Amino acid sequence: MSDISGIIFSEYTIHLAILVGLYAILAQSLNLTFGLGQLFNLAHVASYAIGAYTTALLSTEAQWQFVPCVAASILLSGAFSVFLGTIALRLTNDYFAIGTLAFGAVVSSLLINWRSVTHGVLGIPGIPRPEILGLDMYQNSNFLALLLVFVVAVQALYFAISRGPFGRSLRALAEYDQAAAALGINTRLVRNVAFLLSSAAAGLAGSFFAYYLNYIDPTSFAFGEMIFLMTIVVVGRPGSFFGVLLSTAFLVLLPEPLRFLNLDSATLGPMRQLLYSLILFAVVWWKRRSIFPEQREV
Amino acid sequence: MLSISGLEVSFQGSPVLNGLSLSVVAGETVGIIGPNGSGKTTLFNCISGFVTQRGGTIALRGEEIQDLQPNARALRGLGRVFQNFGVFRNMTVLENLLLALESRSDQMLSILPWSSGRAQQKEQALALLREVRLEEKASLKASSLSGGQMRLLEIIRTVAAGAEVFLLDEPTAGVSPRMKDDVTGIIRRLQELGKTVMIIEHDITFIERFCTRIVVVNEGRIVLDGTPEQVRSDEQLKEIYFGRA
Repeated sequence: MSDISGIIFSEYTIHLAILVGLYAILAQSLNLTFGLGQLFNLAHVASYAIGAYTTALLSTEAQWQFVPCVAASILLSGAFSVFLGTIALRLTNDYFAIGTLAFGAVVSSLLINWRSVTHGVLGIPGIPRPEILGLDMYQNSNFLALLLVFVVAVQALYFAISRGPFGRSLRALAEYDQAAAALGINTRLVRNVAFLLSSAAAGLAGSFFAYYLNYIDPTSFAFGEMIFLMTIVVVGRPGSFFGVLLSTAFLVLLPEPLRFLNLDSATLGPMRQLLYSLILFAVVWWKRRSIFPEQREV
Repeated sequence: MLSISGLEVSFQGSPVLNGLSLSVVAGETVGIIGPNGSGKTTLFNCISGFVTQRGGTIALRGEEIQDLQPNARALRGLGRVFQNFGVFRNMTVLENLLLALESRSDQMLSILPWSSGRAQQKEQALALLREVRLEEKASLKASSLSGGQMRLLEIIRTVAAGAEVFLLDEPTAGVSPRMKDDVTGIIRRLQELGKTVMIIEHDITFIERFCTRIVVVNEGRIVLDGTPEQVRSDEQLKEIYFGRA
């Protein structure tokens, strides 16, 4: 019995639970725009990076505490989405995807080249974990408990959205935006709010990511991360709340058995990417008609 | 109720509407006919805001609306029923109705699925579905409906959205002959409710059932405007459809 509890509460399983929690926030927030709203948003990782760098910089260089750091990460990522949405949401379909991809590339480039602020490829080390209510967050079990509070709050929010009027409006736009506008729905406003909520949650995930690793650099926010998030949403079925939640756990934990194959890290990394790419390709091929139905027009 | 003056629309330099003018009084039902490509659907797209005009004005109850977005026009009482079925097929029949009611009461950004008025809205939606005999299908996906049922749903949804002026673009397209009577029934119901209706149709005998006025559009202009009898007996109508003998 003690062996089982030892495995369940081992550092390794707590680490995996933290990863699942972080990705649950990231994937569910992408599911709002990419899934429910069918907006091919390729800048989600940029919002995640903005959240992570905001917390990293404010906590190391300005010694801000946990709450203002997290709040600033959410606000800045949200502000980024408003800026991005104002421009990119004027574009449609493929052009929208290209527009958000370009924004993502700009943010990625800034992380590497704006060295005076981001420290470039060297990244930002020494991000201190907070102490909350006397609990030492360097204990991963405490950190997991804190993260879970936010994970549950974010999931509850997205569950409510998926069942409520806002989610319905978003689904209507995804299917036939002109018919939705003909019912009085402000299509631009609904999409902007979806973008804002999605990006703000990515900022929150970024903040926790920075606190958890104590170190961030641009490699954590590369385009491969975007592909991984898209894979989670596509495998879980775009727009499905529980599907995305399950696929998050499945895909985050899937490569773990590879660790026990005694492969060197130079092989292990590409093998994971290959595995995700194969899964993404297979699901898109298998469900190509239903994942992204064609938008109708007058 | 609706006043259109000097409407001009062109696509890639080719004129589609050439200074079209038309006035419709409240409670009137106007049929719009014309050959393919004459500009009928473009006229509806322009009135509802999906196509931008190059010139001219559109006034609804005296207020110029040509610079407003489609959703703002809808909130002022302009209802559009699309030729290619505007129902949301991936939603349930009930959700299609709820969406219209929520939009009308400015709840489209409401995040929470529960609220004090939600039960009342559901009752209202079910009552509207009862009118078109779709209540039993409320929980089914709209994609499971027949063409005629989709049309009924779309029209009743436009009623739920609070429309006063209905732009019906070929309401019998894709509808079985048996269901045409149901579509006729709902249009008659709109008339009883005092709504203003404009109907694009190819079947002149169908629109004669409710229209006291028929407008013939050709090459982006109104070429005939009169009672069904006047339009039918006009030689110009034959010329438009069959060419000069």
